[in-house]
Amino acid sequence: MTVNKRYPLMKMNNVSVTFGFLEALKHIDLSFYPGEILALVGDNGAGKSTVLKVLAGLYQPDEPCSVEHHGVPTQINGIHDSRELGIAAVFQDQEFCDNLDVTANLFLGHEMKDELHRIDIRRMEDEARRVLAQVSSPIGLRKPISTLSKGQSQMLAIARTLLDDPDMILLDEPTASLSVTQTAEVLTYIKKLRSAGKSIVFICNTLPDVFAIADRIVVLRHGRINGEHLTSETSYEQIIAEIAGVDSGEFGNESGFLSTKSRLNDQRKLIDRDDSPATESGPAEMHFSASDDAL
Amino acid sequence: MAQKSPSGSQTALREANRALLFETVRKFGGLTQIELSEATGLSTATVSNLVRQFVDEDVFETRSTIRSGRRATLVTLRRQLGISIGMFIGKRELAICVMDFSRTILSSHSLPLALDHKVDSTIERAILLIEETINALGATTSEIVGICLAVEAPVNKATQQVAVSGILRGWENKELRAPFSSVFQVPVYVQNSAHMGGLAESRLGSARGIENFIYVHASDGVGAAAFVNGALLRGVTGLAGEIGHVQVDPLGPICSCGNRGCLNTTVNEARLVSLLNVTHGTMTLDDLITMANEGDPGCRRIVADVSVRIAEVTAQVCITLDPKIVVVGGKFAETGDLFIEPFQESLRRLLFPDALAPIDVLPAHFEKTSQITGACLFALEHSTLSMTPAPAKEQQ
Repeated sequence: MTVNKRYPLMKMNNVSVTFGFLEALKHIDLSFYPGEILALVGDNGAGKSTVLKVLAGLYQPDEPCSVEHHGVPTQINGIHDSRELGIAAVFQDQEFCDNLDVTANLFLGHEMKDELHRIDIRRMEDEARRVLAQVSSPIGLRKPISTLSKGQSQMLAIARTLLDDPDMILLDEPTASLSVTQTAEVLTYIKKLRSAGKSIVFICNTLPDVFAIADRIVVLRHGRINGEHLTSETSYEQIIAEIAGVDSGEFGNESGFLSTKSRLNDQRKLIDRDDSPATESGPAEMHFSASDDAL
Repeated sequence: MAQKSPSGSQTALREANRALLFETVRKFGGLTQIELSEATGLSTATVSNLVRQFVDEDVFETRSTIRSGRRATLVTLRRQLGISIGMFIGKRELAICVMDFSRTILSSHSLPLALDHKVDSTIERAILLIEETINALGATTSEIVGICLAVEAPVNKATQQVAVSGILRGWENKELRAPFSSVFQVPVYVQNSAHMGGLAESRLGSARGIENFIYVHASDGVGAAAFVNGALLRGVTGLAGEIGHVQVDPLGPICSCGNRGCLNTTVNEARLVSLLNVTHGTMTLDDLITMANEGDPGCRRIVADVSVRIAEVTAQVCITLDPKIVVVGGKFAETGDLFIEPFQESLRRLLFPDALAPIDVLPAHFEKTSQITGACLFALEHSTLSMTPAPAKEQQ
């Protein structure tokens, strides 16, 4: 569990959110690390979006000081606080101004100005072209928003997060309405963001996508964390069981998969024998599979 | 942006604009002239002029279409005769590449996959990916002449199925051609991805014109393709070149193939990044490569050690086959000399010290894309439209 050895970028300690009688989040503890993709999965109403909205400053937790940024307790009282902390978010129902064009929407609220404080459309368009090229989407910069398809506006929303170079990016169902090609672009892009050291939190209900890119998976169920796994140490079956609330004890190693980590433990270090630190080596587990006679 | 650049001559500017326009059309597929001008930042007049020039040169073709209720000119890359599809199915990636008969790559995409991805869902996505990519090019699926699946696992030549279980878990002995051929009604081939990498290098890459060479693909796992007298050496079953399963440590861990101490247990993403766990935290192979290129000593050390390991096995192949050159591709080749130099060094040390001609180690021309490019070429060369007749025994 090397991820835990590093310092978290953000930390939620005992966060609860209640709406009237409804407890959307019940005493959640979560840490977010730089350079890591965290997937939040769970049923409808499990509290996935609520977690993101607390981080984005749209909802306030019941205890105000329950969020830490770089180890410093902080308050996220609104979207401006969240932005100050370097958090950018894309929600499912993107809010765009239908009467403005693509560039104007990208920079809405923080337009680029020239020396005379006039809006610098040329610079904005250059910048917009740069971020849109990154998400590989042929979106016309002067098109009105209303003419874009759902997939295109999703790509635009993701592109918008890149403008401020945030530390942490929250994505609510980023691949929900996208075609396979666009999904490919978005997933590849999220991986690139991870390599750039960003902390990414995304909600996704397509498990193949989750397993394709996530480093850590957190399963929420009725406002509680029902499981937290490194992707390399879990399986579809276990995650589905935890989403559904089935006791997952029966989905252990005997179901045929053996996690990468446990296979690693028994491997002797062949390269860098001298450099390698004396790490704990787990019990030697061997995985035999029906083999050569397949020919 | 190119338009505003203050320096440079008119011709240089024009060349830059042409290159920008070409790249944009290649990246986004069919676009109207208005969209092209928005995407490139060039004026509509410039776009229109350049497009006309490209059409005269037979690079682009234009067609009337309707966008938002207005008449518009759709610009696409001109395609020669037909198009072939190369698909790469790896442990963590699904990639597609579309090529026409002039061997121009029209489009390519890559989709990250989960470890141990399921056959049915991946094939489903692959088919959708083909359809979408073809549509984006403004082409139709009837133009496809063949599909080649380059699979990151040993492939049985006779059955065209993954031959050894455990390497691409869940994919062994599955009929992979049927779903594609029933949707697209074209010949479908299943090939080993390293073999296809070798094919790409032999036809269009670093080994062009060289009859005897070895292509080594080093990423998460190692594969190789040996070309002997201009032909790919496949062996009886099709498993020739699986150097990732040469034993390097008799007491080593058990490999995914079921054997012990294979080269792939050493050159393996999970294992290599675990060596950096303590100092670098969690990372991926891509991070490792990037950091090695940025000069991180720990990552450079790993790249160099991996290079020596693979070279030791390659040396044995070189002794056996006596090739002219060795071409190395895959993610490790992206580190350039960091990987090539120790490789060359080890080969020199392990092969005849005063040989008639030392074996040169060259980086692959297609670092990342050799395997899908090769798959496209394979499908092209085996299609019925092809000018170069395919060896009869390889067609099913």
